[in-house]
Amino acid sequence: MLATRLKLAKAVDEIADDTPLFAPAGLGLDSIDALELVLGLEKEFGVVVEDRAVAVRVLTSIRTIAEFIQSQGKG
Amino acid sequence: MTSDPLGRLPHGIAFRFVDRVLEMTPATRVVALKNVTVDDPHLQGHFPGNPLVPGVLLVEAMAQTAGLLLAEGSSAVLAQIRDARFRRPVVPGDQVRIEAERLGGLGGLHRFGVKASVDGALVAEAEIVLAETS
Repeated sequence: MLATRLKLAKAVDEIADDTPLFAPAGLGLDSIDALELVLGLEKEFGVVVEDRAVAVRVLTSIRTIAEFIQSQGKG
Repeated sequence: MTSDPLGRLPHGIAFRFVDRVLEMTPATRVVALKNVTVDDPHLQGHFPGNPLVPGVLLVEAMAQTAGLLLAEGSSAVLAQIRDARFRRPVVPGDQVRIEAERLGGLGGLHRFGVKASVDGALVAEAEIVLAETS
């Protein structure tokens, strides 16, 4: 989902579970990408990220996103 | 609707591409009208003798329509245009019906699905992200 929705230049297998999504040293995503991820998570996994504070916590890495989906009972 | 809903747009009259609001469900969905007239200065050069509303101005009209769904007093700029398609030419005499629906948001970013139609036929569509600046 990450790679197709954000049109990333990286291959999926180049992104580790702990690769930071927003840090420049990681994927360097921006706030528009964050919105894309939030709407994508809602559409594809049925989980709702209510606000920016939750987004900052959840959208840290692939691992934190997976944990969030599981914590919502949608894994 | 007691006050002019278009009054909340920050744009000056010279750069306003929405004429009238038909339906409004605050923060959710809005339908607006844009009448295309032959004396529109933008059409004098696009194209001489063959007036055609530029696709970018349809996008602007759709973005302004979406902007009507933002809180009163806030202003915003375009942050993203996705999947824009222009299906039919829009020419003088056309009445363009523009519908914008808020799809979601995060912080000061808001995404909208927008559609423009003339006589019931879809002429343009896109998804637009507006970023609030104040």
